[in-house]
Amino acid sequence: MSLRPSPSLSLLLAASAALVGHKLAHADETGSGSGVSYRFNVYDEDAFSGQTVIGDPKRYHVDSQQFALTTGVGDRNTLNVNATHEVMSGSSPWYLVPGPDNRPIQVLSGATIRDHRSAVQASLTHDAGANSTSTLSASYSQERDYHATALGAARTVPLNPALTLGFGASFSHDLIRPTDALLYDRIQRAEKNTLSTFGSLSWVLSKSAVLESGIQLNYQTGYLSDPYKLVSVGDAVLADTRPDRRSEAAWLVRYRYAATSNAALHADSRFAWNSWGQHSLTLELAWYQGLRDGWQLVPGVRYYAQDQARFYAPFFGADAGQYFSSDYRLGAFGALSANLNLRKRFGHWEFSAGAERYRATTHYALGGADAADPATVRYVRVFAGLDYHFD
Amino acid sequence: MGCPCALHLEADAEADAQRAFAAVQAEAERLDRKYSHYRDDSLLARIAASAGEPIEVDDETAHLLDFAAELHRQSDSLFDITAGALTRLWDAQLGRVPSADEIAHALQHVGWQRVEWQRPRLRLTEPGMRLDLGGVVKEYAADRCAELCRAMGVIAGVVDLGGDLALIGPHRNGESWIVGIKAPRAPGRAAARIELPRGGLATSGDYERALIVDGCRYSHIVDPRTGYPVTSFASVSVVADSCLVAGAAATLAMLMGVQRGGNWLRELALPHLCIDGDGRISGDIVAIA
Repeated sequence: MSLRPSPSLSLLLAASAALVGHKLAHADETGSGSGVSYRFNVYDEDAFSGQTVIGDPKRYHVDSQQFALTTGVGDRNTLNVNATHEVMSGSSPWYLVPGPDNRPIQVLSGATIRDHRSAVQASLTHDAGANSTSTLSASYSQERDYHATALGAARTVPLNPALTLGFGASFSHDLIRPTDALLYDRIQRAEKNTLSTFGSLSWVLSKSAVLESGIQLNYQTGYLSDPYKLVSVGDAVLADTRPDRRSEAAWLVRYRYAATSNAALHADSRFAWNSWGQHSLTLELAWYQGLRDGWQLVPGVRYYAQDQARFYAPFFGADAGQYFSSDYRLGAFGALSANLNLRKRFGHWEFSAGAERYRATTHYALGGADAADPATVRYVRVFAGLDYHFD
Repeated sequence: MGCPCALHLEADAEADAQRAFAAVQAEAERLDRKYSHYRDDSLLARIAASAGEPIEVDDETAHLLDFAAELHRQSDSLFDITAGALTRLWDAQLGRVPSADEIAHALQHVGWQRVEWQRPRLRLTEPGMRLDLGGVVKEYAADRCAELCRAMGVIAGVVDLGGDLALIGPHRNGESWIVGIKAPRAPGRAAARIELPRGGLATSGDYERALIVDGCRYSHIVDPRTGYPVTSFASVSVVADSCLVAGAAATLAMLMGVQRGGNWLRELALPHLCIDGDGRISGDIVAIA
């Protein structure tokens, strides 16, 4: 059967999707059925290697536990609650100094960080029928030195049986109280605000295929520097200093194709631009393959690349401008990751486990990079989870 | 369902097949009880009895009504589930051709425009109106039954509700099922046999529930604008990803008639096979020997 059906067939398929749209529901990773789930994640960054670091080469390690509940409230409302607790440890890249041949050498924070983060997020979705939904969400996240509160609202409105408009906005307020602020001459208290809006159009191309395209606009103000990062400027080591405003525009395209009754392709892309002079590209592919006896295998790959911010350099001469940062996350790099997830359903229960290998390098950067930043990350992430579906 | 039904399954164990069979039977009976045009205790009967007053319907019914409304729109009002009063009149079980007066009277109770449908509330504005979900509900039931089997882990099989087929999945060795399309003038015989790995096949024709009086054949498919059975193909069979879409396409083509229906099927680009009253076959379904 052709992937791109005739206009009349598109309308028929769209109109039938609510009745026989099981494949579409399967094609979307996030099921809307009621249930509870628990996940245990281990995230482990590779240690620094070679002669390019000063300090403890052991990097970030995060153990996180997630609990989620999805349940109906009345006939037409769905409540989703997520709670996360993370334990982070390891040393963090501090700043870079020029080594022999001007090759950057990473200086790591002396003390090993050990912190906890707790977060809770809740959303309530009202289904007005025929693809029309309204969602309100709220979240709160707390660390010893960081508090973030966010509120959001989103809406989907069907324009015709095959086309759905989505739009929404969210606002978050973050409060930063760096630890050891007096000892290290860090800012003692800072705030930042983020306003995000998005609009998207989702086309049902056929009962097997959905295409979604959207625009996201983000605007941040306040203290956007990293209070724990330093920068080598001439002979001095100064605090990371970034502009207090940042605008970002992103274009997203998502494609879901149910190839057979038990296999689906997910393809996602995101291109973003920000006012700090950075561009980034994300391409992601995943294949959901149902197997016999309730097994499902999901292999996936992701490519990410960005170029550097205008005020990024590994280190600066004495005549650095108003803003300067050597945070590797603002430098040019690219990353490839591969992941494999496995699920097994037995009755109301579903077990899942998976692993991801991520490797970032300046070689994959958009537009190339001036120098290899020793801080670019490589990590392994593994998880296991158990879900119970109420229905 | 008021028609011969069959379930063909391949399962690891007989117990799995029996469980799936029981579930399919229960589901088919549930939908029959709920949407039967003939039963006095069905939801459709309750809706008819509440004519004049709004009635709140469940999600499943709301989806079916949305689907029927879309078919009504696409067919320029030819597909109309409010034709219940007419189809009752032309029911083969009555054994006679209704009079012009009876038809004129029934027509006063027909027309989707006489329905107020604002999800989840439905109001038939005039007493005497009846809904008939023929062309939709049997096909939907076939898809539901196939989905039920898959959910129970039985992934190879065919649900056959009176010749409307929903594939649960191909044979366990990966091969397609070979299914027959009924010959309209000899329903016991296959007009064509085709390979079908998944999806649905539905046939709409004048051979089922047709009223034959004095050698004249009156199709059960009635034009809701004139009140008289359509002059159309003897049968239309369509293959689609679901039996529901296949059935809707076949029914709409029957309602549109030979010329327009044939063009519309070609525009849909779904595999189809049409047989006219003289037995001439057209369409692009490739039959196997």
